[in-house]
Amino acid sequence: MSEHVSIVMVEDDEGHARLIERNIRRAGVSNEIIPFKNGTEAVRFLFGSDGSGAVNSGRALLILLDLNLPDMSGVDILKRVKANEHLRLTPVVVLTTTDDEGEVKRCYDLGANVYITKPVNYESFANAIRQLGLFFSVIQVPVTA
Amino acid sequence: MTSVETAGPIRSPGAQPILLALGFAILVAISLAAIWLVDRARDDSQTVVATFDIQNRLSLILLNLRRAESAQRGYIITGQKPYRDEYREAAANTMPAVKSAAEVIGLDPSLKDGFEKVPALVERKLAEMERVVELHDSGRPREAADLIWHGEGRAAMTDVRDAIVELYSVERKLLEARQAESAHTNTLLLLVTLLGTAAIAAIGAVSIYLVQRTSRQREQARAALLDINENLEARIEERTAELREANNEIQRFAYIVSHDLRSPLVNIMGFTAEIEAIKNDIFDQLPVAEENDTEASRKTVELSRDFDESLGFIKGSIGKMDRLINSILKLSREGQRTFKPEYVSMDQLIRSITDAVAHQAAEKEVEITVEALPPLKSDRLALEQIFSNLVDNALKYTAPGRPGHVRIRGRAEHLRVVYEVEDNGRGIAPEDHQRVFDLFRRAGEQDQKGEGIGLAHSRALVRRLGGYMTLKSELGKGSTFIVTLPRRMQEDERHAA
Repeated sequence: MSEHVSIVMVEDDEGHARLIERNIRRAGVSNEIIPFKNGTEAVRFLFGSDGSGAVNSGRALLILLDLNLPDMSGVDILKRVKANEHLRLTPVVVLTTTDDEGEVKRCYDLGANVYITKPVNYESFANAIRQLGLFFSVIQVPVTA
Repeated sequence: MTSVETAGPIRSPGAQPILLALGFAILVAISLAAIWLVDRARDDSQTVVATFDIQNRLSLILLNLRRAESAQRGYIITGQKPYRDEYREAAANTMPAVKSAAEVIGLDPSLKDGFEKVPALVERKLAEMERVVELHDSGRPREAADLIWHGEGRAAMTDVRDAIVELYSVERKLLEARQAESAHTNTLLLLVTLLGTAAIAAIGAVSIYLVQRTSRQREQARAALLDINENLEARIEERTAELREANNEIQRFAYIVSHDLRSPLVNIMGFTAEIEAIKNDIFDQLPVAEENDTEASRKTVELSRDFDESLGFIKGSIGKMDRLINSILKLSREGQRTFKPEYVSMDQLIRSITDAVAHQAAEKEVEITVEALPPLKSDRLALEQIFSNLVDNALKYTAPGRPGHVRIRGRAEHLRVVYEVEDNGRGIAPEDHQRVFDLFRRAGEQDQKGEGIGLAHSRALVRRLGGYMTLKSELGKGSTFIVTLPRRMQEDERHAA
């Protein structure tokens, strides 16, 4: 993964955020991680104060998204990202506890690139994150228009 | 449920026939009375006719006698022959008139006595007149006139007249009495008819009133019943909706709770693993040399073991909690699934289940016998889950030291089908018969893997399919699970969950 790609992590649970970060680092990914604890702050960052998303135009981003946020549903953020002309090409990795089939399908339908369930079993969890790191290293994050 | 009490009992359905019978009886009585009275009236008029006949005949006697007398006198005065002829004719008619009157009067006891003397009196008068006429005929008019002048004839005539007038008046009195009686009879007839008519009219009125009241009550009862029915349906619908809502709420609650429980569990598990990694790092750096049986290295090994033991318990508990949460999630998802009733061949369904466990059964030396099973209309997936669970349990909880035998049989009842899964396994103690159906509860020796979900889930499914599951079991001898289901699952029941 190119060095300039920033990882936007939207995760309200600090523990989860820390575990994700540690495992990404263990996978050898050293890109900048920008953490957000709620949906509102993440949306402000992604779409800017004017809400157009122009602020991130030309920036290489990757979004790690939890669906259960205290202030809004991650699905709504996913929807907005995929509908925005500046951000729609940004890869979105949904990382959540929900493994409901309907929910997974819905996220893929909305344009999520990867859907990962957080397993309680730590081996699986760490493995999933490491897989994600591997994924980061092979994907070519496009520079959004 | 309230009973139909608002309308009250529909009274006097028995009064109607009684009233009708009464009315009919009165009509018959009136008719009989009328017939009798009309008969009496006819008798009365006949006697009136008879009276007039008697009077007529009596008058005829007097008339002939007077005619004879008046002609006789004319003859005496004028000596002309026509008077004499007239006299002869009238005199000749008189006695037949008396005879004719006697024929009628002879039947009437009240006149008989009074009439007895009449023929003699008439004959006396006739004899007197005859003597006068004969004297005149024989050329002695002077003597004849003397005889008249003497007044014997007049006296005889008066006697006849008096006798007849008396009879006349007797007869008139009789007539009057009869007429009075007849009038009385007629009045009675009128009265009876009027009274009867009034009675029938009254009965009719009462009857109409009763009929109207009955029909009014019936109408009210019907309306009340309709009202109650509608209310009942509305209430059932309301309750069903409430129950459905409550159930949905529980499902959502279970779903959300299990999710929210999972989130911290990820952290606990994650950081426990982190601690374990850190511990390993720390202990790797400590001098652990088994050959160096120093106090320090023994302590280190002990500490490391304590660490591992504690971490092991934590991880074990987390694993268990994770399984429980997953079970709740699974149950809540199952609860939200919509059933699709279809025709299911239970023979095929059970065969596919027993085929799937054939290997396991052979390993545990359990024989499975399946009898012919009635088909039904229900949700296939739910049936598979229920019977898989029952067969699994039967294979799982065998009695040690005894070859296992599982029997599956079924029978169709009127609107239901009953399936039984019987085993000769270790059985369930009576106090645990309810417990085994509770979520996360298990009975007997805990030597088998499981979360205590299977039977709870199966029973919930059976209920949602519109049936029920019961258990017959004796500890150490075996268990029989009896599943009773509607032969045709109602479309409505699909939403009942």
